[in-house]
Amino acid sequence: MTVVVSAEKLTKTFGSHRGIVGVDFMVTDGEIFGFLGPNGAGKSTTIRLLTGLSHPTSGAVTVFGLDPVPAAVDVHRRIGYLPGELALHPRLSGRHHVDFAAKVRGMRDRTFIDELVARFQVDLERPTRTLSKGNRQKIGIVLAVMHRPELVILDEPTSGLDPLMQDEFERLMRELVSTGATIFLSSHELDEVQRVATRVAIIRDGHLVVTDTVEALRRRAPRTIEFSFPRTVDPKPFASIEGVQVVAANGTRITLALRGAVAPVLRVAAELGPLDMVARPADLDELFRTYYRDQSADEPDDAR
Amino acid sequence: MRADIAVIDLRLRRRALLSYVVGMVLYALVIVVLYPQFKGDTSLDQLTKNGSTLAALVGATGSLTSPSGWLDANIYENFLPLIMLLITVGYGASCIAGQDEDGTLSLATILPISRRAVVLQKAGALTVQALLLAIATMGCILIGRQFDLSFPITHLAGLSLGVALLGVDFGLCAVAVGSITGSRGAALGVTAALAATSYLVSSLAPVIGWIRPARYASLFYWSVGNQQLANGLSLASVGVLSVVGAFLTLTAVAGFRRLDLR
Repeated sequence: MTVVVSAEKLTKTFGSHRGIVGVDFMVTDGEIFGFLGPNGAGKSTTIRLLTGLSHPTSGAVTVFGLDPVPAAVDVHRRIGYLPGELALHPRLSGRHHVDFAAKVRGMRDRTFIDELVARFQVDLERPTRTLSKGNRQKIGIVLAVMHRPELVILDEPTSGLDPLMQDEFERLMRELVSTGATIFLSSHELDEVQRVATRVAIIRDGHLVVTDTVEALRRRAPRTIEFSFPRTVDPKPFASIEGVQVVAANGTRITLALRGAVAPVLRVAAELGPLDMVARPADLDELFRTYYRDQSADEPDDAR
Repeated sequence: MRADIAVIDLRLRRRALLSYVVGMVLYALVIVVLYPQFKGDTSLDQLTKNGSTLAALVGATGSLTSPSGWLDANIYENFLPLIMLLITVGYGASCIAGQDEDGTLSLATILPISRRAVVLQKAGALTVQALLLAIATMGCILIGRQFDLSFPITHLAGLSLGVALLGVDFGLCAVAVGSITGSRGAALGVTAALAATSYLVSSLAPVIGWIRPARYASLFYWSVGNQQLANGLSLASVGVLSVVGAFLTLTAVAGFRRLDLR
């Protein structure tokens, strides 16, 4: 197992503004590494440091064992990057963009480009200003993977894509990994990441709050129980139970996130005479939301 | 060295560049064609007689009815440098800082190409634009030889090189400020202020004694403000303009290497 990306105490500040603080993680070859966080958490800042577009304030980052700032040419030859806010030259067509990147990368064989264009139904002929966001995003996907990079760094890659294209993109990611590529997938779309990623890191307010495998996170994830009552009930008795968090209380309906045994919850609920109860299995979304909402909530130190 | 970035930038700028060049060519042709009507008008020379500061402010000094005086006062000391700087400073401010602000710079900087090469290609595109305008204008002035405008062709070629280098230098100044600050506004503002000061110093130096020593610090003086059409562009001028350009290029490379990109 080879380390492809390594970040150690990686910190980036913008004057008095926080960027990211003391971020540590590693990405090994052949994995899809999910990088999750709400808007403004520091995902794009981290990615700009990985790509060498930005300089760290302190700490270190390596890609293929190289510092991506001084070794930008070598690193960029081996990576593909889809930025979160893709900006294309509005008056140029997709073909101009693709030809430009292919020339600089010294690509002669365009078979894979043609395959990608056909597969994602990319419009390469019209000026990009006349294209929808989804169609511009498809050009960004082609630019990111057309040279079969060893590491693909994707920042919100399915933004603007319709569900069919999102599925196609998911298949593409799996194919790239099956041929030896490593994928760093940044997103705030939990479903997308947990479907494809093997490991996940969650960043919140510039700090990494957890890094673990999706399976381990799922094991820790809370179950969800929803009760319906014939009258308005006070959620406080539920909130006082250890391992229970009241996610929503809407008069006659209460939604709980449960980490411990279910018996204490059922005993409290039985006294209130519930009309109905729905229990869902371990919900990764809820775990992510817990991390997003409150870093201190059930934060396992060993998972950092 | 490849020129893919320069080519794509020139493609993006071609409409604006063509418009500027066509406008300049039309203006230069009008000035050339009008010369026979003004060459005997001695009242014109009264404007610059006794060292008029007003005339100096608009770039007119010495005889306005001589071929070189007519072209200097109407084209080479004011209007052509203005159009030149609009092109080169505009591009200089947008090619690094402006493209970074609108996010398109990362299309190039994420490719396997060094930041030094990016700056050099941008400097190349800048030079092509400056030369295009200078050569197109020179072509029009050469037509003026049919309209009583007589002057040595080598002097005209030297002056055209001077005005092109003037544009390249101020364009590179905008590139450098943009590379250091990442701000298109700062690049435009700082360079425009420097260019305006440089112009004032050069144009007022002949008529205001205490400004005269400062003319050596003005790029306008070395390029268009020392009667280059009458006397030719000196090697010293070429040297100063080239050294300044090289210094600004190195500054831009150093600044761009340290710049955090979007």
